[in-house]
Amino acid sequence: MKKLIIWNLVLFSTAFMFSCSDSDDPQPEENLEAVLVENLHAPADVMDRQTGEIIELNSYQYYSFEDNELVVSEDGNWDLGIKGLSMIVNNGISGDGNAEAAIVQGVFEQYNSIPETVQLKSDTAEGLAIPSGSGNGWYNYNMTTHLVSPQPGNILIIKTNGGNYVKMEILSYYKDNPPMSEVNLTTPSAYYTFQYVLQPNGSREF
Amino acid sequence: MNRLIKRFTFPVLLLLWGTANVFALAKFPTIYILDIKGNPILHAYVNVGDNGAIPVNADGALQLPEDLDKEETLLIMAMGYDNKKLPVKVAMENPSIVLEEKIGRLGEIVVSATRTDRSVEDLPMPVTVIGQEEIQETGAMRLSEVLREQTGLQVVSNHGTGLQMQGLSSDYILILLDGEPLIGRTAGTMDLDRISVSNIERIEILRGPSSSIYGSEAMAGVVNIITKTNKQGVTGSLQARYRTHQTLDLGADLGISQNGWDIYAYYNRFRTDGFDLDAETPGLTSSAYLSNTFQTKIGKTFSDQWNAKVFIKYYNEDSENFMEIDREGTGFLADMLGKRKDLNINPTITFKPSNNWTFTLRSISSVFDTESATIFQEDGELMESEDFRQFYHRTELQVDHQLTDKQLITAGAGHLLETVEATRYDDVNRFDAGYLFAQHQWNPSDKWNVVSGLRADLHSQYGSQLSPKVSGQYQINKKLSWQVSVGMGFKAPDFRQVLLNFNNASSGYYVFGASLVKEGMEKLQQQGQIRQVLMDPSQFGNLTAETSWAFNTGFRYKLSDDLLLHGNFFRNSISNLIETSPVARLTNGQHIYSYLNVANVVTQGAEIDLNWRIFNGLQFSAGYMFLDSRDLDVLDRIDKGELYKRDASNRTKVVTRADYGGLLNRSRHSGHVKLNYYEKVTGVDLALRGIYRGRFGFGDINGNLILDDDMEYAKGLMVWNLTLSKTLDNGIRLEVGGNNLLNELNLHDPTNAGRLLFVGLQSNLHQLFK
Repeated sequence: MKKLIIWNLVLFSTAFMFSCSDSDDPQPEENLEAVLVENLHAPADVMDRQTGEIIELNSYQYYSFEDNELVVSEDGNWDLGIKGLSMIVNNGISGDGNAEAAIVQGVFEQYNSIPETVQLKSDTAEGLAIPSGSGNGWYNYNMTTHLVSPQPGNILIIKTNGGNYVKMEILSYYKDNPPMSEVNLTTPSAYYTFQYVLQPNGSREF
Repeated sequence: MNRLIKRFTFPVLLLLWGTANVFALAKFPTIYILDIKGNPILHAYVNVGDNGAIPVNADGALQLPEDLDKEETLLIMAMGYDNKKLPVKVAMENPSIVLEEKIGRLGEIVVSATRTDRSVEDLPMPVTVIGQEEIQETGAMRLSEVLREQTGLQVVSNHGTGLQMQGLSSDYILILLDGEPLIGRTAGTMDLDRISVSNIERIEILRGPSSSIYGSEAMAGVVNIITKTNKQGVTGSLQARYRTHQTLDLGADLGISQNGWDIYAYYNRFRTDGFDLDAETPGLTSSAYLSNTFQTKIGKTFSDQWNAKVFIKYYNEDSENFMEIDREGTGFLADMLGKRKDLNINPTITFKPSNNWTFTLRSISSVFDTESATIFQEDGELMESEDFRQFYHRTELQVDHQLTDKQLITAGAGHLLETVEATRYDDVNRFDAGYLFAQHQWNPSDKWNVVSGLRADLHSQYGSQLSPKVSGQYQINKKLSWQVSVGMGFKAPDFRQVLLNFNNASSGYYVFGASLVKEGMEKLQQQGQIRQVLMDPSQFGNLTAETSWAFNTGFRYKLSDDLLLHGNFFRNSISNLIETSPVARLTNGQHIYSYLNVANVVTQGAEIDLNWRIFNGLQFSAGYMFLDSRDLDVLDRIDKGELYKRDASNRTKVVTRADYGGLLNRSRHSGHVKLNYYEKVTGVDLALRGIYRGRFGFGDINGNLILDDDMEYAKGLMVWNLTLSKTLDNGIRLEVGGNNLLNELNLHDPTNAGRLLFVGLQSNLHQLFK
């Protein structure tokens, strides 16, 4: 009987050792899936073009990557706020949280790790983490066509309020994510379509 | 018997006398020198034996001297025509001798290439001449319509109808009228629709940088429009042309030459309804306008040595268009009214003390004035108005000295002064400049021909510039010649780049010209509006001219008197291109922009042309140009993998060199084919032309600000034009024709109006009333 118990223990421990070989592998085995968010409407304030006065105020759309949904108030667990062309993070002068952001260059699907040289920032009086203005931040404004297109190759890196890293690519500023050749001045704007990948284990790898 | 003799003697003697006379007349044959249409060539002359050159008379006829050996050869010559050699007996059998025009206009005398008269085939640079007949057969009423049919030249729209040569835009092409610069550019474009065509004698087009003689703007080349002058007797003509879109062009001119005076006056009136390519958007693609041109030339030859002349030209134009403006969410229609005027006065004095010295003192004073206003249709409220006025004056002395019969030296000096005032600029601004130039034309042997030049410019605003150029031609054999030309060109910063003081209040950004950026920055700094300065402050306001080095090489191959092939390879390397660049970031997130010398661009390619006279009366020509243009900084970023693009599903990819299409608005391939046919029986001239403009990039669609995707191209087009004309015996010329017969339209080319049909009539009054 004792021999049987010892033999079983040896068998079990051997089996256990083999099955634990996966935990030595540093790469997470499951591939992270990209989440596609479509037509997130984030209208800017409405302004009278002649006088420059604001006729209608709109608020930011507060988004949480962890939950993949909009948060109702600015006190909630949001990471990124969008209004018109402007993007804010839940930190510094824009919020009470711990989110940070930076912009890097690359092909979204192939961007697998955030280098140490990339410093994420929060919104301060000196400037937003995602800078505003055409050519500085995430978009280019074409002065001839008056259309907004996301700068190709720009990837937004965001550290969420919960401390996890997200890589995000804005696909379109226009409703239903049309190719830019089909966009004109009548296409409804400020309808964001973007894709992102969240790394839930807190590392800078995707 | 005696009575019989008496009776018959007289008539027999008479008969003998008559016969003798007939034989005597046969010793003085008259020959007629004519062109292919049967018109006399008035400047022809005949070389026969030792008698030297005998010119033809006013009817193009020549009486040969008596006692001429029938086996002797006559040599008949006329400028612009091929020489003809024939024995006297052949001439006597058929006294109407037809000369053929020199193919490819090689015999034409051109003045633009060296500021002295030289024929096209002697020039070591790529020059083409468009003659009056060619201008007439295009049915053109405005200069842009003539130039559109030339290989190597592209007509493009940018604040007006401008030109593109060797891939360089309007800003880099100098437009001259009778050798003097035309002023009045909007955003760098000289609107070629301002120039009427019915009094143009010829257009000389010189490719390649010519700043060594002409200074600023002659970077891609020079277009010299030479208008008619009266040379003999009293002449007058009337022209009228009517075209689709209620376009009417009327012209009249009068010339008197007497007692050493040459007076010429010209008037032209042009009006059009404009046209619209996009029925959905309110407003016309091309405005309706009415313009008047007055020109007068007065010249007096005082003696063999002294000559003086004055050219005066006045132009005015009224244009109308409308657009829809958004006011509080509703669209309101507003009228856009524009007025443009220019006045040029150009006196010249020429002094030729001997055969080898010529002194020319010339000056030009020009004023260019524009006013524009946008007014709401409903209540007449003025939305905005803008004025611009530019004054230009230049005085120049040119000295030409024939050092030896193989060397001609030209030297010159000049001073120019310019003032500009505009709604967008502060105060009245003044610029002064001085320059010196020298040129050496040398024929060391029959086979070699070298032209070298150098010019030094000194400007109050942008420092100094030195522009050298050397061109050489080698005559390999009688049929083939090769030429090479290397030179520098430059373009001074324009007013906008120096003076602009602009603030977009609703977006919150500023644009300062180079002379205002330091002050503008300081003021904003004091107001606490600047967050970060992006460039070295010691560089503020340092704006220099854009410069280029160019290499042109080509050949002329005259396979026979009826077949000519010529080609030219070119490469322009342009640096210090001025572009708007951000110089500081403001607290509101926007920027302060100024103009900086930042870009480097290369344009290169080849042009080839064929002229073939199939038989007398049928001529075929074809031309093709290949153009490659590229921004070197963009290529650099592509090579480093720093540029990305989005595909049709908005996914990101890295841009490769193969994706990059170069500069916007430039076609890689373009060309033309042309058929000229003169039908002898009816006397009708037919000119059929097909013009091809290959596909070109019109803008950035996929968001990376460069041309790199098929969706960013406008399609290529082949446009067919046909003109039929006939000159009646009394000199009246009738014409009918159409441009763009197949109505090929391109929304991205606002200069293309679609199908246009026209009829016209021209009458030379002196021929009519003979």
